Amino acid sequence: MPATAPTIDPVTLEVLRNKLDGIANEMQSTLLRSSFSPIVKEGLDASASLFSPDGETLAQSISIPIHLATLIPVVRTFLREFPLKTLGQDDLLVMNDPYLGGTHLPDIAVMMPIFHRGRPIALSAAMTHHQDVGGMTPGSVPTHATEVFQEGVRIPPLKLRQGGVMNDTFIAMMRRNVRMPDAFIGDLNAQIAACTVGARRLVEVAERHGADTLATAFTELLDRSEMMTRQSLAAIPDGSYRYTDYLDNDGIDLDRPIRICATVTVANGEMTCGFEGTSPQVRGPFNCVPSGTAAAALFAVRAITDPEIPTNGGCFRPVHLDLPADSLVNPSEPAPVNSRTATIKRITGCILGALKDVLPDRIPADSGGELLTLQFGGRRRDGSTYVVGDLIASGSGASDLGDGVDMIETDATNCMNLPVEALELEAPIKVHRFGLRPDSGGAGRHRGGLGGLREFEVMAGEVTVTYRGERHDHPAAGARGGEAGAAAAAEIQRRDGAIEAIPSKQVVTLMPGDRLIVETAGGGGHGPAAERDPAAEAADLRNGKVSPEAAARQKVDE
Amino acid sequence: MEIGVDIGGTFTDVVCRPPEGPPHILKLPTTRDDPGVAVLEAVRQLRAAGALADGEVARFVHGTTAATNAVLERRGATLGLLTTRGFRDVLEIGRQFRQALYSVKLTPETPVFLAPRAFRLEVTERVDAEGRVTEPLDEAEVVAAADELVEMGAEAIAIVFLFSFLNPDHERRAAALIRDRHPGLAISLSAEVDPAFREYERTAVTAFDAYIKPVVDGYLDRLEQGLRQAGVAAPLQIMQSRGGLSGTGVARERPVRMFLSGPAAGVMGARGIGAEMGEGDLISIDMGGTTCDIALVEGGEPTVRQEGAIDGFPVRVSMVDVNPIGAGGGSIAWIDGAGGLRIGPRSAGSEPGPACYGRGGAAATVTDASLLLGYLDPDNFADGAVPLRPELARQAIAETVAEPLGLPLAEAALGIHRVVNAQMAEGIRAVSVRRGHDPRHFTLIALGGAGPLHATALAEELGIRRALIPPHPGVLSAQGLLDARLEHEVTAAFGRPLAEVTAADLADALAVIDGQAADLMAREGAGAEACSRHHFADVCFVGQSYHLSVPVSLTLDDPVAALYQAFRETHDRIHGHSAETPAQVVNLRTVHRHGGAAAGRPSVAPPATGGGGTGRRQVRLPGSAEAVEVPILRRSELTAGQRIAGPAIIEQPDTTTLLDSGWRARVGAGLTLILEPEAEA
Repeated sequence: MPATAPTIDPVTLEVLRNKLDGIANEMQSTLLRSSFSPIVKEGLDASASLFSPDGETLAQSISIPIHLATLIPVVRTFLREFPLKTLGQDDLLVMNDPYLGGTHLPDIAVMMPIFHRGRPIALSAAMTHHQDVGGMTPGSVPTHATEVFQEGVRIPPLKLRQGGVMNDTFIAMMRRNVRMPDAFIGDLNAQIAACTVGARRLVEVAERHGADTLATAFTELLDRSEMMTRQSLAAIPDGSYRYTDYLDNDGIDLDRPIRICATVTVANGEMTCGFEGTSPQVRGPFNCVPSGTAAAALFAVRAITDPEIPTNGGCFRPVHLDLPADSLVNPSEPAPVNSRTATIKRITGCILGALKDVLPDRIPADSGGELLTLQFGGRRRDGSTYVVGDLIASGSGASDLGDGVDMIETDATNCMNLPVEALELEAPIKVHRFGLRPDSGGAGRHRGGLGGLREFEVMAGEVTVTYRGERHDHPAAGARGGEAGAAAAAEIQRRDGAIEAIPSKQVVTLMPGDRLIVETAGGGGHGPAAERDPAAEAADLRNGKVSPEAAARQKVDE
Repeated sequence: MEIGVDIGGTFTDVVCRPPEGPPHILKLPTTRDDPGVAVLEAVRQLRAAGALADGEVARFVHGTTAATNAVLERRGATLGLLTTRGFRDVLEIGRQFRQALYSVKLTPETPVFLAPRAFRLEVTERVDAEGRVTEPLDEAEVVAAADELVEMGAEAIAIVFLFSFLNPDHERRAAALIRDRHPGLAISLSAEVDPAFREYERTAVTAFDAYIKPVVDGYLDRLEQGLRQAGVAAPLQIMQSRGGLSGTGVARERPVRMFLSGPAAGVMGARGIGAEMGEGDLISIDMGGTTCDIALVEGGEPTVRQEGAIDGFPVRVSMVDVNPIGAGGGSIAWIDGAGGLRIGPRSAGSEPGPACYGRGGAAATVTDASLLLGYLDPDNFADGAVPLRPELARQAIAETVAEPLGLPLAEAALGIHRVVNAQMAEGIRAVSVRRGHDPRHFTLIALGGAGPLHATALAEELGIRRALIPPHPGVLSAQGLLDARLEHEVTAAFGRPLAEVTAADLADALAVIDGQAADLMAREGAGAEACSRHHFADVCFVGQSYHLSVPVSLTLDDPVAALYQAFRETHDRIHGHSAETPAQVVNLRTVHRHGGAAAGRPSVAPPATGGGGTGRRQVRLPGSAEAVEVPILRRSELTAGQRIAGPAIIEQPDTTTLLDSGWRARVGAGLTLILEPEAEA
């Protein structure tokens, strides 16, 4: 390092770090506050970030982990297509193409270069899941898509605004290609507002502390998070660890399981996630472009390293991905990608699973990792139409600390369920039961979290139900001698008494009097069941979380 | 004579206010085992000091931690929960959300401890989404379930049936059956506690209500009895979470409304000071040992939210919007793995406390930095109750901060202040921005023992042009109790598109809950003619699942149109846009208020004498390169109209104010200090 390397005092550095986090939070607050769509307002499916001029994350504010670091490849593409020296301070960039660094088409990224006295000092960016970007189905997440072209409009890296003048051509094109143009523009404006807030506040900081100090601080903060992440990773025994798990199918080829095989290699404080042995890309929309695979890997890194490390691009420097071409985790166009969430969840589970044996005190047994997605569409008695969705969680894996948690969101997602009263107010569907599913937690010294159960009855009209489950065929494994959780299951009880089993993914039609019963997966157990504390066992029996029959079966097995 | 008693974690603060003349102020150690002991001790001391000599006690107002502590310490009743068949697990599943975003080893996020699964029983009954009974209540099952729960030791029962907010008959009938059979049980009905849709949120708040009911009941019983024995004839009044007072009769029926009793009193105190100074838009910061509570007062009223949290669990009940951030005098400075300076969120609390307390704490805290910088007088901290040891502060900062960072001692201490101020400033920004406000348009009011030390630094950081330091920042909550109004709130689900609602519909529905609120006020001895009524509607755009509380004015020509207009304006301010799309009324709410100190009544209390030195002291200010000699003033000797140029330090028993250079202060009529930048004045 040259002797003239700028230095920064530790106090100013920490003050600036707090400000960067505060600015990212203010951007996110602006983004959530001023967006239109329920998916942003209630699903919190949006994030805001500040980047260094060369595209490293300085601060990011997210509400669901699936957004972690997903803007990095987008920003890289922006900077490649539009080098900073060609941009002015009233320019804005926009894109969504998954094959150029995006995630899936509904996620649109907006980036603004931030200038201080004519010099670019940073980038502010916002990513929002838009309610609709066109394509073959409303909402632009068609589960039966087989090409990205069916999923909506692809936006290459474009100038959304140049020299303060909006790109009206782009706006006009988009307005004619999305189902809810006003909401689209509203959400896009919220993204611009978030970027603008970030820029304004960062310029204030530069005014006060000087742009050079700021640049030095960026370098230093990134280096420090990198150093701490390396320290944390160095504490993991060097080696190559492998784990395999499956998605049930891709929604198109129903009898073909999708294999995800993660090889996590830890050496010299670095971690490489390889996916040799993972399924080739699939026909259905479960393919996951590299940004999603990266989000999974980085979630895993944040989960296993010291939580006190400030999250920024420095944490990501020692993490590498090795993604086989044309595979599930690195598909080639025009493979469809909209349903990648289930894939990201399972990739996260595989990376964590690979480290289960070397980090027994940090990683639990496998979680159900199933976020059952249900969509009901039909007509009310007055003839009006409704579409209502429900998201149902599964059980979490047990750990060395204790039992898994019953029915809770895990890993890369964090979605809320739909209250029964909200569903019944919205649609002529009656819920008979909503509860925990006894005996579904994997047995062990610590029991896996229970999956859940919901029973619906159609009260009026014909209803189309889209059922998208997981873990029907591949239950969550236990750890350290613990047993697997129960597999997910679903069935229809027709009004006439006929029973129809539902596979992992299906679109079904229900008539009044028909019932749909869904059961989500349980989490894996931790440690041998024979070592379970008798008091915990008694409590499970008393609470009906384990039935006497299952307990007796367990005794015989032992 | 009026007495306000606020119980905090460490101190029980008492303000005794005669009709004329200065109030009498006491600070006693909180008696954790039975907080009422300190209250009664306060009465004894007041009497001994002759403070109660010149008249009867007309009001005795109390901010209590009884409800909160019962939850934090898991000391509530053994609770049984009765639900609609098929739904016993709603309490345990919640919304399946986790707060620990990056955690993989999860722990339960719902209040399962209130009623483990064995204590949650189901009965056959069903009401549909239109409020019609589709399955009658099986009364035999109710009785059998209650018997079973009592057999298991239940002391309280919460009843939560689906759609009871539309039709409460089944819940009421079940309660009547259980009361007949088990007269001693505490019972809470969801249709009474929180008649609004979303079963998990309604279940949680109802279960909390029942869980704390016997504890709060017992506490109030003991306290009332003690007060009678101590010769206090005045009825006991309790501060509720939304900032209004309740008599104990009503309060013990709705104990879940008491969770934020203390913090609400603080915000009401800030509101009172603001009213006195003619300031309606305030940001109050109450900085104590472990946290800094941030709250907003908008247009003279505290911001009230419709859902808050206790111990991390949601409780859907109106409460003053107080936002705690992990920054306080006890926040610990530490060095991370890459050699960076970090502050908090860990705190040394009051035990062992900052290193300078000499109670074995080795970690350097914000208070240690304040002492080292010369802001605090080691002999006059907390009225001399806690002698501070500068050598221990110096040692802690030297060993844990200055040496690892290679900084001079004073730079390290100043650094701790700069970082904690940056954290608080970001916290204040977040709270303001979330409500759609720019903090620069607000006046800062600093409370708590530690707040006034940071006031000018925070104001500067946030571009705020005025900060207020009340005469007694350390006991403002107790004073807020006396300034608060008697208040009861009743809410009802409404659930109709605004386009289909007429003014008569609103008036009819409000009349029903007005009647209920009037009954509650009548029980407090406040007749309808003496009460003001305030109507609100929770409104959302159709399709939204979050709503905003908007005032309703039935006296206008077209109340429905006005409501829609007001909703859109509020939505625009808070959410940045407002389309002309259909809206829906979710709930209606009425708030009845009575009495309270007239706004703007000067708190003529001169700060207690004693405490605080005079003269000059070497102090290291944020902007100066070295220590400078700064005048030390005694707050009790300041007189109205006096002007003070910064830098200066103003000491009083309950706090220390740092007036930085570049700032000046004047003393208001009520002896509140008004701090402003030099350039402004």
